[in-house]
Amino acid sequence: MMKSESLNLPSSVKPHGTYKAIEVKNLKKVYKSKKSIEQVKAIDDVSFTINSGEVFGLLGPNGSGKTTTINILCGLIPPTEGECYVGGYNIETDLNKIKELIGVCPQQAAIYQYLNAKENIKLFGDLHLVEKEDISKRIELFLDLFGLSEASKRKAKHYSGGMIRQLNLIMALINDPPILFLDEPTIGMDPRVRRKTWKFIDSLKQKDKTIILTTHYIEEAELLCDRVAIIDYGTLITMGSPRELIEKNNCKNLEEVFLNLTGRRILEGL
Amino acid sequence: MKIRRVSTFIKIQFKSLIRVPSSLTIILLFPVVLALTFGLLFGSIIIDETGQTVFEFLVPGLFAISALYMAMPIAYSFSEDREQGLLKRIKTTPTTALEFIGSHIISNIGMVIIQVAIIAVICYFLGYNPAGSTTNLIFAFIFMIIFSLSTIGFGLITATVAKNVKTAGGIIWIFILPQQMLASGLYPLPNEAEMISKFMPLYYATDALTNLFNGGSLGDITIWGDLIVLTIFSVVLVIAGILLFKKYGE
Repeated sequence: MMKSESLNLPSSVKPHGTYKAIEVKNLKKVYKSKKSIEQVKAIDDVSFTINSGEVFGLLGPNGSGKTTTINILCGLIPPTEGECYVGGYNIETDLNKIKELIGVCPQQAAIYQYLNAKENIKLFGDLHLVEKEDISKRIELFLDLFGLSEASKRKAKHYSGGMIRQLNLIMALINDPPILFLDEPTIGMDPRVRRKTWKFIDSLKQKDKTIILTTHYIEEAELLCDRVAIIDYGTLITMGSPRELIEKNNCKNLEEVFLNLTGRRILEGL
Repeated sequence: MKIRRVSTFIKIQFKSLIRVPSSLTIILLFPVVLALTFGLLFGSIIIDETGQTVFEFLVPGLFAISALYMAMPIAYSFSEDREQGLLKRIKTTPTTALEFIGSHIISNIGMVIIQVAIIAVICYFLGYNPAGSTTNLIFAFIFMIIFSLSTIGFGLITATVAKNVKTAGGIIWIFILPQQMLASGLYPLPNEAEMISKFMPLYYATDALTNLFNGGSLGDITIWGDLIVLTIFSVVLVIAGILLFKKYGE
């Protein structure tokens, strides 16, 4: 039996093909400037594969191409060149099927300010056509888990930054997606809430979810990710498990690896 | 097209009507203030030998203007959703553009119906009795619904051009003010200005409502002419709005 078939998917669409949850082949993204003929290479010939049930970290400095990669895989922007498969489906031809398989926690907390937590979460459950009974159960479960039950009837505009980030994450989970894109999910959370969220993300791993995580907290990536890819200037510099990268680069931790590979120029300039 | 998604968005938009003070003001308070102000100020000033008051003369324009201002919350809503990253997020779900924009069209029509009802009730209590038959009133209602489509077009075009909610609030006046000044029938204008107003959908809505409320016959070619031109305006504007917003606005 295919590993992904055991997942409780929200619709008839299931990942197909092999155990590869995501496959990116020679991906390129070039932005053309509106004012000049100058072209900006956001992603340059990036290839990687993410296995089903794996937590995969995309690390890189600001503007390195992490969010662009995620946006392409979610179907928000088209690639300039290359092929991408999510759940075995081609992003250019089967985007509608892909959208039924994914949950996206965007970098910018995208919530309706005048709705409360329950209403915001329910909205995304409805958009994914999740059974109403399941939506109610999951809302209670997640709100309880994140300690948001008490505040759940207050409008989101009255929430703290940390609460909004948690709500942003829950909204990505309501359709119980087998593939999750978490774009800096813990940014703006205090250390206590961040650790709670790490624990939660780790529990998703036990449930066979495939997670693509971008983060600036290298400690987070080291703790949660099975493998990480470090990208800079749109190019994939290195890829492997945190341990492999630490050993290969003869460093004390992943942060040192990250700084050695991406930060030298910046540090030298100081 | 999934009805559940459309109905979900409609519910959200009506919740925003109740919970967002600016929407509440434009959609509910604006028609109240408009009808009461004109009714109380001009309800007793007679303008012709038939005994028609200034207020009665202005009523069709009041209906049309209240619907015209619906372009404002539409422009705000799309600009705000984009600014807060909600459009992008919704785009990662299986929701189609037709479901999303279709829900806005339906809820906008619903809100115009509320506005029409508010103005009609206030006008009635201020002593206004349209001369037309029930069929005329039903036709007037249809005109309002068709006109409301053009306001969605204006709202979408504004949201496409505007970079954020603040600029949307400025740009929308490019569509509202000239129509209000030239085509609402609220202001006495020279012939040249009336010529310009014929390039605006509000002119045809106001013209038709005036005819219908004054007891004009449904066999009158002017009413049908207004209906055809207004429908063309509205369909072109809403399609242009959708296409522009899809291409450049998201």
